[in-house]
Amino acid sequence: MSRLIALALCCLSYSAWASEEHKLAKVQVRTDVQSLERGAETVISMCTGCHSLKYIKYRDLLKLGIAKEKVNSWRGSNPPGTSIPSQMSPEVAVKGFGSIPPDLSLMAQARDGRANYLYSYLLGFYVTPDGKSGNHLFPGVKMPDVLGIAGARTPEERAQIEEKARDVTSFLMWAADPHEQERKKLGYYVIGYLVLLTVLLKLMKMRIWSRLRNN
Amino acid sequence: MAKGIISWIDRRFPLTAIIKHELTEYPTPRNLSYWWNFGFLAGFVLVLQILTGIFLAMHYKPDASMAFDSLQTIMRDVNYGWLLRYLHSTGASAFFIVIYVHMARTLYYGSYRAPRELLWWTGQVLLLSIMASAFMGYLLPWGQMSYWGAGVITNLFGATPFIGEAVVLWLRGDFAVGDATLTRFFALHYLFPFLVAGMVVIHLVSLHTVKSSNPSGINLEDKDNIPFHPYYTSKDGFGLGVYLIIFCWFVFFAPNTFIEAVNNNPANPLVTPPHIVPEWYFLPFYAILRSIPDLLGGVVAMVMSLLLFAVLPFADRSTIPGGARYRPIYRVTFFLFIADIFVLGYLGAQAPTGYVVPMGQVATFLYFATFFILPIVSKREDKWLRARLPQELLAQFDRTNALAKGQNKGDAP
Ligand code: HEC
Ligand code: HEM
Repeated sequence: MSRLIALALCCLSYSAWASEEHKLAKVQVRTDVQSLERGAETVISMCTGCHSLKYIKYRDLLKLGIAKEKVNSWRGSNPPGTSIPSQMSPEVAVKGFGSIPPDLSLMAQARDGRANYLYSYLLGFYVTPDGKSGNHLFPGVKMPDVLGIAGARTPEERAQIEEKARDVTSFLMWAADPHEQERKKLGYYVIGYLVLLTVLLKLMKMRIWSRLRNN
Repeated sequence: MAKGIISWIDRRFPLTAIIKHELTEYPTPRNLSYWWNFGFLAGFVLVLQILTGIFLAMHYKPDASMAFDSLQTIMRDVNYGWLLRYLHSTGASAFFIVIYVHMARTLYYGSYRAPRELLWWTGQVLLLSIMASAFMGYLLPWGQMSYWGAGVITNLFGATPFIGEAVVLWLRGDFAVGDATLTRFFALHYLFPFLVAGMVVIHLVSLHTVKSSNPSGINLEDKDNIPFHPYYTSKDGFGLGVYLIIFCWFVFFAPNTFIEAVNNNPANPLVTPPHIVPEWYFLPFYAILRSIPDLLGGVVAMVMSLLLFAVLPFADRSTIPGGARYRPIYRVTFFLFIADIFVLGYLGAQAPTGYVVPMGQVATFLYFATFFILPIVSKREDKWLRARLPQELLAQFDRTNALAKGQNKGDAP
């Protein structure tokens, strides 16, 4: 048994072995609809200028619980079944950045550190001594400091931007795995049922094996 | 009515006789510990992999331009598709945990020794086939690690003398890993688990010929055997419950533990990930591969690290039956060997810089050394113990040895 646990621990820490060069800020991801809606708002207004979310359709936002008027204003004349597109054509992107900005729908699960990476990346921008934009996690970054963390003057301003980054991260975590809440809810029932079943199986086993002591 | 049907069948097929012989009257040692649950668990995991796999295959598209997207469709739009995928991806890791514990049990208790050599060898063929299945399955999500991992591993076959290049081309179906590779890996990934299921039957027939070993290593008298059903069916049932609690905890609350972040990026032949690391269950062997500077040498070492297990029934020259129960030196060797595998696994996940390379070489040396010193150590230990253990125990050992030699003659079904 102890070996099983050791192995399990081994697997858990395994992803952490891969790359731990930068200290990532820890983010507490939120799952309430208000936070996700604020995050969606920021992503649609500030990120889809360059990034797509090809696995998320406008309809999914409705299912999430965001108000119909809001989603309608985001999708414009696109049908609800459209995936959220990038406003920038690939040619323009390649001309401007040398690459097509990556799709964001799986981004929150696509870097070591996952949510923490995303959050730290968004807050990792700074101004280099020669006045250029840099990012602690992404040397030679071409993406601009969209949330404006490098320009934050006061602690209040900083806190506001951190809140925004947290909402964006929460929304993108939802986008990467929209069934997470459903999965966990089901999980409680499944584990509860299994615990009950296992206790009964143990009792049955004990009863059957008790026959052995009598002969 | 039911009785009528069964006797109708029995006149045409030995149904009741099989159930009696293999289950309700199949004699099993009464002292088996919970370490003996893992064989049954492995069978359960195999069935679960096959079932979830078949349903995944109904929605999966084995085409390089569609594979990654089709998996996202499974995760997002297919009813309970996320459950199928997480059961399957977590199940692959669970399979190896179960199989490795099952093998460690066999090593610890010396269950590979006469008369169970064939059982041990069929088990090894099973391990290799499951490894092949998992390796090919891992390409199917068509993520960055899928793609580059498959590239690195297929490249190893290039070390084959003279025809290396042709072998690699034949495996990949193209000069680089690509659509042709994905399609053939899918076909084989669908096939292999069914071959595994067939081999499990052979494994079990062999088991039922020689019967289970037991923690003492001493052959039990008839009164110490109990029928498999209901005793071990109930014990396996309870073990399955415990297993499912742990397994489902991962599936429902931490399924991404077994899906690497890098693999959530679609395969891109133009961008190499910083570290290409195989799945955790291959890491010890990968570390052995890397610690030999020459590619051919490394591949040979890696293959040998798996095949050498086959010599254990001969390498263990002790006349004391079983494994670690009565053999302290064997026990120490076992734990050192397991610790060495953990060290290798850790090193296999690291970038090969600094201390990682020499430490890997030392660990590789110790790994192989275990196999080579075993004949000497087991012989010495035997002499040492025979001078010390009580006479009646030694007499029991000798009875067991005599039985082991004669077993195959009189006892076959
Ligand atoms: C002006 C265009 C632009 C906008 C607006 C933009 N990005 Fe980006 N983003 C890029 C480019 C270009 C890259 C590719 C990496 C690079 O070269 O900097 C990128 C990369 C990324 C990455 C991947 C970083 C990595 O580790 O590879 C993330 C995450 C990201 N963007 C998130 C966002 C979020 C969230 C927003 C909205 C708050 C946003 N981006 C807005 C252009 C943009
Ligand atoms: C020996 C049993 C099996 C093992 C060890 C195994 C292992 C794997 C692994 C490691 C993956 C990649 C998981 C991921 O990262 O998502 C995978 C994917 C897949 N497997 Fe299997 N598999 C087994 C049996 C089967 C069977 C029998 C089928 C089909 C009938 C199947 C169909 C698939 C499909 C369609 C995928 C792609 C979807 C996915 O990646 O989840 N597998 N398998």
